[in-house]
Amino acid sequence: MNNFQPTSKTIKCVIIDDDPFIQELLKDKLNQYFPDINIVGLGNDGKEGLENIILLKPDLVFLDVEMTDMTGFEMLSRLDTINFKTIFITSYKHYAIKAIRFNALDYLLKPFDLEELKNAIKRFKSNYHKVGKSEQVGLALNNLNTKNISDQILPLKTQQGDLHLALKDIIIIEGDRNYSIIHLISNRKELVSKTLSDLEDLLSNKGFFRCHKSYIINKTHIVDQPNSISINISNGMNIPISRRKKESFVNWFKTAKVL
Amino acid sequence: MNKERNTTFINLDNVISISRGNTNRMIKYLNQFQELIPERLQQLKKALDNNDRKQIRQVLHKMSPQLQFFGIQDIIKPIQRLEFEYDTMSFLELEALGNDIIYKLEGATKEVSQIIESHFE
Repeated sequence: MNNFQPTSKTIKCVIIDDDPFIQELLKDKLNQYFPDINIVGLGNDGKEGLENIILLKPDLVFLDVEMTDMTGFEMLSRLDTINFKTIFITSYKHYAIKAIRFNALDYLLKPFDLEELKNAIKRFKSNYHKVGKSEQVGLALNNLNTKNISDQILPLKTQQGDLHLALKDIIIIEGDRNYSIIHLISNRKELVSKTLSDLEDLLSNKGFFRCHKSYIINKTHIVDQPNSISINISNGMNIPISRRKKESFVNWFKTAKVL
Repeated sequence: MNKERNTTFINLDNVISISRGNTNRMIKYLNQFQELIPERLQQLKKALDNNDRKQIRQVLHKMSPQLQFFGIQDIIKPIQRLEFEYDTMSFLELEALGNDIIYKLEGATKEVSQIIESHFE
């Protein structure tokens, strides 16, 4: 069985946040509802966070996205190895949430809804041994440091397991109710359990455009526009542009960077 | 108005819930509010005086979870607006929103002080 196997106080946890209120609140909620979590350290900023992690070797770190001395991502990038899972903590709709979601990282909104906290702990326990501890965060740090957006890697889940796709390899995405079919170069296709709207949200600032209720296109793979209601794509497909998207497509095509 | 506890600006439901009848825990959260919010209010006033928009956003961003926790709901939306439009909003509007937030937070701070005085001292 892959799940975390707590005996008593087996999950060593560190909280890193520069707000004493958040530290206390999270500490109280964890102590009250999760007796198998042992809070071994508190960090008031990124520097203290690094010291805590190196010294205390936690299993789980709750990490503030925006601290006074550095961001949570900057703090993680300063570690040689990451042998713990991270749950990012942030205020409502912080600009970093888009990056966190794109990289399939876990996060919680302050001041912590109990059900969301329970779900996050449940995910931590069930994934603890499944995914390499440094893999997800390492991928995120690479993506954040990748200047060319089309070289960024999108992590997704399929029935066969985890899938990592370079954005430049995605030609179009086709909606299929609660699923999406990703058409890739070399005529490969992947079925993922995300809706087209979920993917539109993740990819809209990365050179992709939802031109139709059933399609998202990658600007890199547009060959030409034979008329105002369709476009030709590098894999030979002709993709429709919906009537209400015609104008916004033209604007996007003019302004979106060729990646 | 939070009639049961006779408060206008704050709602202590979350504080009571997390405290689970433990007075020390309750006073810890109230004291923390009394320590952190006036200091941040001063930072906010100074940032507004200097039209330092980045600092305005940072102070509000930092305060926001604690204010939500203390049930000061009607300033959460203006705070979110300021957080996201801090660099584009006209100064007049920014100042008006900022002053409204300051007024409500001063009221909330007074209420927290009164609760500490009347129930815990």
